[in-house]
Amino acid sequence: MFRILKKSLKTGVVTGQHPPAAEPEEEAKPAARESARLFRRSLTIREVDTGSCNACEMEMNALANPIYDMERFGLHIAASPRHADALVVTGPVTINMERALKDAYKQTPDPKLVIALGDCAVNCGVFKGSYAVTGPVDRHIPVDLHIPGCPPRPVEILKAIEALRDEPERA
Amino acid sequence: MADPHPIDEHLQTAFPALVPADAGPDVLAYHVAAAELPAVARHLHDKMQARLALLWAVDRRPSAPRHEVRYLFALAPGDPWVSLTLDVPEGTRLFPSITPFIHAAHWFEREIRDLFGLIPQGHPDLRRLVRHEHWPKGTHPLRKTFAWNHVIGRQPGEFRFRHLEGEGVFEVPVGPIHAGVIEPGHFRFSVAGEPIMQLEVRHFWKHRGVEKLFEQRRLTDGVPLAERISGDTTVGHALAYCQAAERLLAVTPPRRARYLRSWLLELERLHNHLGDVGAICNDTAYAVAHAQSSRMKERVMQINDRVSGSRFLRGLLCVGGMTRDVAPQSLQHAMEELAPLEHDFSELEAIIGGNASLTDRLETTGVLGERVAWDHGVVGLVGRASGLDRDVRRDRPFAAYDEVMPVTVPVYRYGDVRARLRVRIDEIHESFRLLRELYRAMPDGPISADTGPDPAEGQWAVSAVEGWRGEILCFLMAGPEGRIHRCKVRDPSFMNWPAIQWAAVGNIIPDFPLINKSFNLSYAGNDL
Repeated sequence: MFRILKKSLKTGVVTGQHPPAAEPEEEAKPAARESARLFRRSLTIREVDTGSCNACEMEMNALANPIYDMERFGLHIAASPRHADALVVTGPVTINMERALKDAYKQTPDPKLVIALGDCAVNCGVFKGSYAVTGPVDRHIPVDLHIPGCPPRPVEILKAIEALRDEPERA
Repeated sequence: MADPHPIDEHLQTAFPALVPADAGPDVLAYHVAAAELPAVARHLHDKMQARLALLWAVDRRPSAPRHEVRYLFALAPGDPWVSLTLDVPEGTRLFPSITPFIHAAHWFEREIRDLFGLIPQGHPDLRRLVRHEHWPKGTHPLRKTFAWNHVIGRQPGEFRFRHLEGEGVFEVPVGPIHAGVIEPGHFRFSVAGEPIMQLEVRHFWKHRGVEKLFEQRRLTDGVPLAERISGDTTVGHALAYCQAAERLLAVTPPRRARYLRSWLLELERLHNHLGDVGAICNDTAYAVAHAQSSRMKERVMQINDRVSGSRFLRGLLCVGGMTRDVAPQSLQHAMEELAPLEHDFSELEAIIGGNASLTDRLETTGVLGERVAWDHGVVGLVGRASGLDRDVRRDRPFAAYDEVMPVTVPVYRYGDVRARLRVRIDEIHESFRLLRELYRAMPDGPISADTGPDPAEGQWAVSAVEGWRGEILCFLMAGPEGRIHRCKVRDPSFMNWPAIQWAAVGNIIPDFPLINKSFNLSYAGNDL
């Protein structure tokens, strides 16, 4: 017990100890910002991997660590698409995952956001053209926000989602 | 002419019909006839305790009208690989299955059947593996007659799972999309009450056609694709690819490049193991350990970013050496940041080790016995937790591992989740030591060498790297004008996934996430 307390006190608060993010490359579309208004205070995310190399998953997981602590921005991960406000899709959409992605999209209640995370989800990346790839994501479901990068850094993901949910007059 | 290797002599005496082929110093290669193949494979596996490391096919068209089925066996540390090649002439679709007596061949042969349309005769389970049921009949993407950008249609079809029947037996389907932020895969549990009676893994949802995409590239520019086989093993896969390509292109990377490669590989091992220690604790709802270790992992990821400009160390390796040097100040800075981290981790280790309720949860959970592990050809840290003492860094030193003090390999016999956690903890300390030692001995000098002339068509090379999960294999065959004719990649996950089906039996479903996390296998590296 003492060891744990000592360790916690010694560690202190580490949240925010990361290098600053570059400005997002892509401005969120006005329509996407309009639909994101609803989720300004709280956004529950379901992550769907459609064939990424798992680097994007690692960065999504990193968002939950004490350094990025995404819960402080009202971002949560839901276990089911039925509990989600937003789908975060990674990967180039493989032929085997195409149907699962469409199912997850259908199961997500309206209104909803779709965020394509990583180069693969945006334009299929190095897997473009392969027989096993049917993407990118916006070929199958409407996408509100693209976050490019291979993979985008956690702080860039945070920044892009924040920019989407920001009040228009503040942006 | 050097004396023949004792293994070579032994095999040629036992099987006089074997035709030796030239394959370089660390591989004994033979051509085998279809009739004799099962006997040779069985002899290697049963009598000589050889492990089936890789089984794959090559379509030799257009240069020769045949397919080849190739087998790679690993013998004791330091012994050469034994490679068998079986020719399957055009017009023949059958080749003898070795699965009935070498279980590790199970998925390999099904994979060959799906990707090449060659049928392993006598295989006990010919359901589809890579091609899901909606792929039209006759779609075999790795045949040379199949265009890499072919658009595949859809047909109706359903995978038949193995059913257990009886009173009170239920099936629980899980996936492909899971509850956590993880990759897609399907698990089918058959349960009676709480305990799992049977688990069947249905994978290959993420099949992206990586091996076919390699065939569109030149030997010198396959690295970006290799780095994206499995993101968490970026350096491991890139290194395995580079070493195979360098062997074909007759180039030896300079010493500094080899040291940097080892150093980066250890850095990758460190961030993954640190993350896993916390993730295993998290699956027992032990949040303190998870928070602490994910903080440490993040530290290492930030060091990665500063050293290479990529949190996953991407874009540093290239065929012939490194794309750019890591500045001495940047290395020194990284070492200074890593130094307090080891003590930091030791404190956490004491907290984890002192927690009796955690130990109670981990002990005897998800036991993978040594015999089952051996039968599946399990590699890497999962194998080391089940008593299989293997580590490529020690057994077949690559990069700079032959120049530093030999790697101490932790081995535990219990094969439970705790043993896999212990292996990780020990390897974290070993990685810290190696990072220090590699840094201290880091030589100066050039970081890349020019590649030699393009290899002759049909030349091949195989390389092995101990990534953080275990042994990564990469087989490369040259095509005309420096192109890739065939690239076969085997992530350790491909060997270890079938074994998890046995580790889960007898446990309860709520423990499965914990068992799965303790294996932490890659779906992307498995599905390719």
